[in-house]
Amino acid sequence: MDTTRGISSEWIKRAAKATGWEGELTRRGFLKLSACALTSLAFLDLGEAYGENAPLVILDNAQGVILADPTRCVACGRCELACTEYNDGRAQPSLARIKIARAVNFGPSGPTGGEAMHGDWGDGLVIQGVCRQCPHPVPCATACPQNAIVADPQTGARVVDAAQCLGCRLCQQACPWGMIAFDEKAGVAAKCTLCKGKPKCVEACPAAALRYVPWRDLTRDGSPTRPTLSVVPPETAKACLDCHVTAGAKATK
Amino acid sequence: MAVGSGGFVGKVLRVDLSTGKITTEDTHERYAGLLGGAGIGYRVLWDEVPAGTGPFDAANKLVFATGPLVGTSVPCNGRATVTTLFPTCWPKPLVGSGHMGGHFAAKLKYAGYDALIVEGQADKPVWLMIRDARVEIRDARHLWGSGIRRATLEISQELGPDCVVAAIGQAGENLAPMGMVINSVSHSAGGVGGIMGGKNLKAVAVQGSGAVRIAGDKAAWEALVKFHLSILGANNQHVVPSFPTPQAEYYNPASRWVGQPGKRWGAAKPPLELPGNIHDPNSIAFRTNSAVYFLGDEAWKYTVRGNGCTACPIRCHTMLKMPSVTAKYGIPDMGQNTCVALMFGRTFFKQLANKKNNETAMEACMVGMHLADDLGLWSNYGQLQRDLRKLYEGGYLKARLGSKEYASIPWDKYDSADPAFLLDLLPRIANRQGELGEVLSRGTGAIFDHWSIPESEWAGDHATTYWKMGHPKHHANEDDGQCGVIINTQYNRDAQCHSHTNFVRNGLPLEVQKKLAAAIWGSPDALDAPGDYTPANVPKARRAKWSLLRKELHDALGVCNWMGPWAASPLRERGYTGDDSLESKFLSLATGQTMDREELDRVAERIFTLHRALTIRDMGRVDMRAAHDIVPPWVFEDPSGKAALTKGTIRMDPADIAKAMDYFYEVMGWDKATGAPSQARYAELGLAEVGEALAAAKLTPEAAK
Repeated sequence: MDTTRGISSEWIKRAAKATGWEGELTRRGFLKLSACALTSLAFLDLGEAYGENAPLVILDNAQGVILADPTRCVACGRCELACTEYNDGRAQPSLARIKIARAVNFGPSGPTGGEAMHGDWGDGLVIQGVCRQCPHPVPCATACPQNAIVADPQTGARVVDAAQCLGCRLCQQACPWGMIAFDEKAGVAAKCTLCKGKPKCVEACPAAALRYVPWRDLTRDGSPTRPTLSVVPPETAKACLDCHVTAGAKATK
Repeated sequence: MAVGSGGFVGKVLRVDLSTGKITTEDTHERYAGLLGGAGIGYRVLWDEVPAGTGPFDAANKLVFATGPLVGTSVPCNGRATVTTLFPTCWPKPLVGSGHMGGHFAAKLKYAGYDALIVEGQADKPVWLMIRDARVEIRDARHLWGSGIRRATLEISQELGPDCVVAAIGQAGENLAPMGMVINSVSHSAGGVGGIMGGKNLKAVAVQGSGAVRIAGDKAAWEALVKFHLSILGANNQHVVPSFPTPQAEYYNPASRWVGQPGKRWGAAKPPLELPGNIHDPNSIAFRTNSAVYFLGDEAWKYTVRGNGCTACPIRCHTMLKMPSVTAKYGIPDMGQNTCVALMFGRTFFKQLANKKNNETAMEACMVGMHLADDLGLWSNYGQLQRDLRKLYEGGYLKARLGSKEYASIPWDKYDSADPAFLLDLLPRIANRQGELGEVLSRGTGAIFDHWSIPESEWAGDHATTYWKMGHPKHHANEDDGQCGVIINTQYNRDAQCHSHTNFVRNGLPLEVQKKLAAAIWGSPDALDAPGDYTPANVPKARRAKWSLLRKELHDALGVCNWMGPWAASPLRERGYTGDDSLESKFLSLATGQTMDREELDRVAERIFTLHRALTIRDMGRVDMRAAHDIVPPWVFEDPSGKAALTKGTIRMDPADIAKAMDYFYEVMGWDKATGAPSQARYAELGLAEVGEALAAAKLTPEAAK
């Protein structure tokens, strides 16, 4: 069996397939998935075997994602409260990993007035903020200089390893959807963990506005809620070369 | 409760608008034993606002208080109680509270404050900015004169989109006693808007990023919240649906649980069909549609969605979209509200007052709520509307109003029930323009004073539903016989108590209610069916006391007395029992300190008794029974002459009500002759210093002898 740095090619193919980049990578013939890149592949659980300091590049796709239907949202915020109370033992919408409070009054574009304004003061629509559990390259994880954003072994949710997080907030800057919360008390970032596959927010919604469904790529739906600061730490950028080659080194077509 | 415990966030914010001084005090040190809500409000008024102070004096204080459960996921929290010298209380302003939901209370907690005390008077219009620990008094001159919508938008631009603004409109700015403060579009506290105006305070805006800690076990907390959700009904805790369904043993057409599967939120884009399982916890928000309940089934097609307070799954503020009103009346096509404020516009008109499924009536409601919630004009539980009708229909206005002013009012529109009449009338009142606007802006008492109309002309007329002291009945004998009457004697405004009606109107058959009643109040005779009353008895008095104490308790905890208590449930498998200890279970887990139901009810009694003490002090008399606990004559009459306490009438009997009051004073431990607590009773409730002060002023029954 072919191996790369001791990993079977079969696993590498499966990993590539999971990212949705399989065709792209193999066709161009520069698939060079490294063991380093694979440390985050949840099903391999290789984190321990291949060293903790390896930079993370590829995260396997999550298994599920939370879908939000704005026409059903009744702006009660029970999802935000379930998120923080049941997970953290405190009621704190600012820490919630689902975002309602910011959209309740005027919607995502704020107190602009006019016809296009959403929320309670506008047309009534409450556009929830939910984590898309982005596919590779995962903006928050890629931006993290500590590689503290990893895939949850059970659900593949991108989760913050609080023990590794420095509290630099680069992930907050990197998320195009403004979905990274910050726990001011602990000084660490916090994000949606999908609650081991049983999201508390989904369970708490009194209007069935939230659903937990098999993952699909929602990053192409709609526009990002904010401009992002794309920061890639040099170590991480280097790891990109494990799979991608610079333009000058590409094989001619 | 110990410092650092959960539930409370630990600080009370105090802002002196005269000096600009901003301070905080420790909630536990200063207000221990009073929880929150009016408990804190009454304490501040007792300690700091001397008898004889006027509502618009700089010395009057305004206390916005939340409670330890506010901001958590306890279903139906999110309430703030605003306590002050209540300006519509007649003939003399006395202590009273307005109550508002929305998102203000929770934000104040997240900002780190259990309550806000506003005192003094700014020398120019200001708004109060609260962003966590940062509190500033900011210039509001540019906002003065603008409505609540405009003020909210501009303040939100300055503070940020996620802030909650509690603002007054023109009514409050003009110091109208009928002014109200509004937050989150439609959540109002009546009567206190003018007090803010008097202090030159346009708005309080709050942004909070902090937490309310749950001290107890997370899993136990989650389980209790889920249990509470399982025993919830619809609005007013109506526990059976209004429609027959195989999913429920009983139904009751009078129930507010109107969300029948298949009905649609017709103005949602695209429309939303209500789901099939009415018991599903993920469908609780579909049960209530206040617009449908009050305006008729036709309102489904205008329904955008339910809305309401922080953490409440009930959503009693129904959001409506009615495009026709923009073209016809030049107002936004969106509107939202609940109950009396939803019907604000319709009830002015004789032809529309009770009309359901009528387009003009609905349009009148849209116009009414738009204006009321922008001008910040209160209805005094519909008394404003009934007052105008009586003044007009009774010929008082024609006789008393100057002919020039009378002619300036578009009565032709009024006569033809044209909602456009409100576009003229309501700004008149909010701006206190002319004699009519001025009098109506001051409340019902001003009608008696200004036009020398004897109060008895209102109190003797069943149609006014006027009760006493400038205010109407609020769930009295039409719902709950002697119990409702007792409750309506106790406050200095309309009784804001729903504990009793939420039980008797819950939709369950009487025999089931009686079974539940026996378990809670010791006898199945603690209640009758509405309009089929038996004589007064002690269990009814006990239930009246329970109702009043739970009302005060809910205000103090920050949960909704329009939903609680949860004495019944929709669950057949539980024999429809609710849980009478729910409040104490939640408080115990939130704070981490166990407090049982009896202890908590004692706290509620302390708060309620402090209200009594303040009333006695500020009235300067102890004979509450004769001077305060009044029942209007219409209660003892029946328009068709039916005998009291017979089936089919709500007519009560004076001797029986006297007996009911005897029983009530007895269960309260108050003196029967005066209806006042003794010095010893104050002491028993932990209010020894209050009792001493009143005794020294000869305002306890024994000292007055």
